[in-house]
Amino acid sequence: MAKFVCSICGYTYDEAAGSPDQGIAPGTRWEDLPEDWTCPLCGAPKSMFEGQTHSEEEPASAVPVAREEQEELRELSFGEMAALCSNLAKGCEKQYRAEEAGLFAELAAYYEGRAQKRAAKNFSELPPLIESDLKAEYPAAREAATSERDRGALRALTWGEKVSRILVSLLGKYQNQGDEMLNGTNVYVCEICGFIYLGETPPAVCPVCKVPSLKLQMIAKEAV
Amino acid sequence: MYAVRNIRLCTKDCLCLYVCPTGATDTETGQIDRAKCLSGCRACVDACPSHAISLVPESYPPQQEKKDSVTRALRLLAASKAKQEQLCKGLEQSAGTEASRRLARAMRLSNRLMAEDILRESGYMLPQSKNVQDLLADMLSTEQDDAFPRAAVRRLLELLTQQ
Repeated sequence: MAKFVCSICGYTYDEAAGSPDQGIAPGTRWEDLPEDWTCPLCGAPKSMFEGQTHSEEEPASAVPVAREEQEELRELSFGEMAALCSNLAKGCEKQYRAEEAGLFAELAAYYEGRAQKRAAKNFSELPPLIESDLKAEYPAAREAATSERDRGALRALTWGEKVSRILVSLLGKYQNQGDEMLNGTNVYVCEICGFIYLGETPPAVCPVCKVPSLKLQMIAKEAV
Repeated sequence: MYAVRNIRLCTKDCLCLYVCPTGATDTETGQIDRAKCLSGCRACVDACPSHAISLVPESYPPQQEKKDSVTRALRLLAASKAKQEQLCKGLEQSAGTEASRRLARAMRLSNRLMAEDILRESGYMLPQSKNVQDLLADMLSTEQDDAFPRAAVRRLLELLTQQ
């Protein structure tokens, strides 16, 4: 009997134990699990699981780290400045510095207003961009952070990669099911790492960053 | 270092009111009066049975230095997430159904949070850090349009450099 590990939250599906809470009897083989079976902890689909015998080693990146070594640091775009400033507003809030938080939020709103608007016809424009992050930018950044032993950057990359994978899998599911995917269920976003969860109530802790559920914000339903 | 109260944890046992030598902990807002709080006193922190009070520092050590190679790679990712955030924002605004609007909104927020986290790790974690002060000073010395909140940046520099 084999074991399979969720690449998002680390839940292990053990064929010997099954998943009785989900009605999966002990001894159920991986290939016999229904195709629409999802991780009981984080809701990830079967495709996000890996056999536990697989090597833990990261595949070597094909992207050269030093590709821009000679270039100056690029200026931040308005969209990036908006995120940088909204993050600093949070940093002030956590120190109970309300005035500073308000001023950084004002700056963030200014940059947000100047960020390049991008109209999209539908959600299908997103997966190729996320796939490109996962194939090129994350491995390159991971390699740079590993060689500099930057644990903080590695932490952010680990969370971001997991959240990006969840977004790809949600978009794939949405392409098949359309609005049905969301009708009658709630959508939660983790305020710390951006993890998205679909379900009645949020998990006790965020499966990506492990923050308690009170930080998982429910997206309100609004009439269109 | 002055005391702050996390209202979510506070169980209203009021030991902080008994031990505070200045009455700073007894306010109608639930927050501790910073003007009355004695820096570093910590009597309320130690007395609180629900660990709802902590001390916020007034100064911080210099931040961990970030290497250019890491910053460069992180910024590429931040740019990608910022672009995706704008795409989601467009989808949210043009959504024809409640469900698709909710999904677009969740994804817009998710992308903003990822961009924030990545930029935080590229040298902009602490608002009081030298990096942030340099960035704010740069904003003032660069030409900006009329809508730019110059007064906000000046005030931020004033507040952040005091600390």
